[in-house]
Amino acid sequence: MTCAEFQKALPYIIETGGNAEEEQHLRECPVCSDLVQDLRYIVEQAKLLVPMEEPSPKVWDGIKGSLEREGMIRPSRARGRLLGKKSSLPWIGALGAIILIAFGAFLFQRGRQTQPGAALETIATPPVQAISLETVATEQDDQQLLQQVAARRPGSAPLYESNLTQVNAAIADAKKRLGENPNDEDARQSLMRAYQQKAMLYELAVRAVQ
Amino acid sequence: MQNTSRMALGLVAAVALANGAASAQKKEFRYPVSPGASISVANEFGPVTLRAGSGNQIVVTATRRSSKVEVDSTQHGNRVEVRSHFLQAAKPEEGRVDYEIQVPPDASVMVRVSAGPVKVQGLNGDISIEGENSPIEVRDSHGQIHARTVGGAITLTNLYDGHVEAMSVSGPVTLNNVAGKVVTANTTAGPITFSGDCAGEGQYSLSSHSGNIDVSLPASASVDLSARSVMGSVENEFPLQPPAHPTMAVNQGKSFAGTSNAGASSLRLRTFSGKIRVQKL
Repeated sequence: MTCAEFQKALPYIIETGGNAEEEQHLRECPVCSDLVQDLRYIVEQAKLLVPMEEPSPKVWDGIKGSLEREGMIRPSRARGRLLGKKSSLPWIGALGAIILIAFGAFLFQRGRQTQPGAALETIATPPVQAISLETVATEQDDQQLLQQVAARRPGSAPLYESNLTQVNAAIADAKKRLGENPNDEDARQSLMRAYQQKAMLYELAVRAVQ
Repeated sequence: MQNTSRMALGLVAAVALANGAASAQKKEFRYPVSPGASISVANEFGPVTLRAGSGNQIVVTATRRSSKVEVDSTQHGNRVEVRSHFLQAAKPEEGRVDYEIQVPPDASVMVRVSAGPVKVQGLNGDISIEGENSPIEVRDSHGQIHARTVGGAITLTNLYDGHVEAMSVSGPVTLNNVAGKVVTANTTAGPITFSGDCAGEGQYSLSSHSGNIDVSLPASASVDLSARSVMGSVENEFPLQPPAHPTMAVNQGKSFAGTSNAGASSLRLRTFSGKIRVQKL
């Protein structure tokens, strides 16, 4: 199994776990192993942030719909232990957007690392379509994040709100440009950096409220 | 009567001073360590200053401003943890703890703050600093240096032979004489200012979404430079030779590229909608 194949299957691996071949690749490949480790960290941190209650079905339906449109969802398989724990549908739907933000950034970056010089077509999904996955639940998770910060760190809430607005504006700018100019590598890199900034903002907020 | 009033005022002032002095309590912790020690500091309010000290010890001096905040300082082997925590709800001034810390030069440090300034000087170990609105300043150091803020300013000065990463969403990032194998600065809206010779045959990458990037290079700088603003503008006042093998399309006012001297280091400047300016020091 190649890294590209492994990363292409990563979204449903997160949902249902990996099969034997995928676990074998994870043992052998430090790049994919690091990626799963990073995602595992984000999942664990996000669980601490998000209230342990079932999210609106609309959130999960939106994510699931986008994954199905992209052909990234397959029929459920036997659960694996790729992330060390059984995944749980109710909370992972709410965490999906948070994961996908960082996943989008990691996928762009690591897809290029595992296949140096390869065109971005080799990455799991074409960038513009991958972007649409993130727009489905991002606003709701942003609101949840800001609510958590406001509840636990009211003095910091305006700072996070204004900076989140700036980061989201950067993502929107870069997405628009990339949509109009899909071959603009600098616009693509701008989008990736904007995702990385958003992931950093989430990480700092999670640490702040802990 | 006037004398009585003056005496009363003087008494009130004296009591206020005494209270102020009593509420600012200083504590010192000393920990013997061996080479390769590490320290982590978590402080919500108040400055944190770390400097290289002499000897194999970590010395933590903590001054708390009220009894509403407590300092927890513990040692686990070669690792020291320092943390301020609130005993009850406290305003910033009440929850403030000022830290002055001396560490061996090779110690690794990790600092997490909310609002207080962080200053690090003279260290050679790994340095990781995170803040919200805190201004962060690191100087005269080398090694792995990571600084991240939401809106706080990041200022890095006289760093050499290092792996440097500075990220802020809206804070300004300033690099003065920063050199190493990898130097990266990235903001969403904050401006980036770089001044130095890009020594070390390294890869330098300065990028911002909407912030401006200002670079000043000496004539002796040996760089292979490329600059592009997707939607903004670029301006170059530094002498460059055209690249022998162009890897980027040059677009007047939007991008330029070239080499100075041997082009030993790579300097990549990118902004989405900001302005890039390169000038001679």
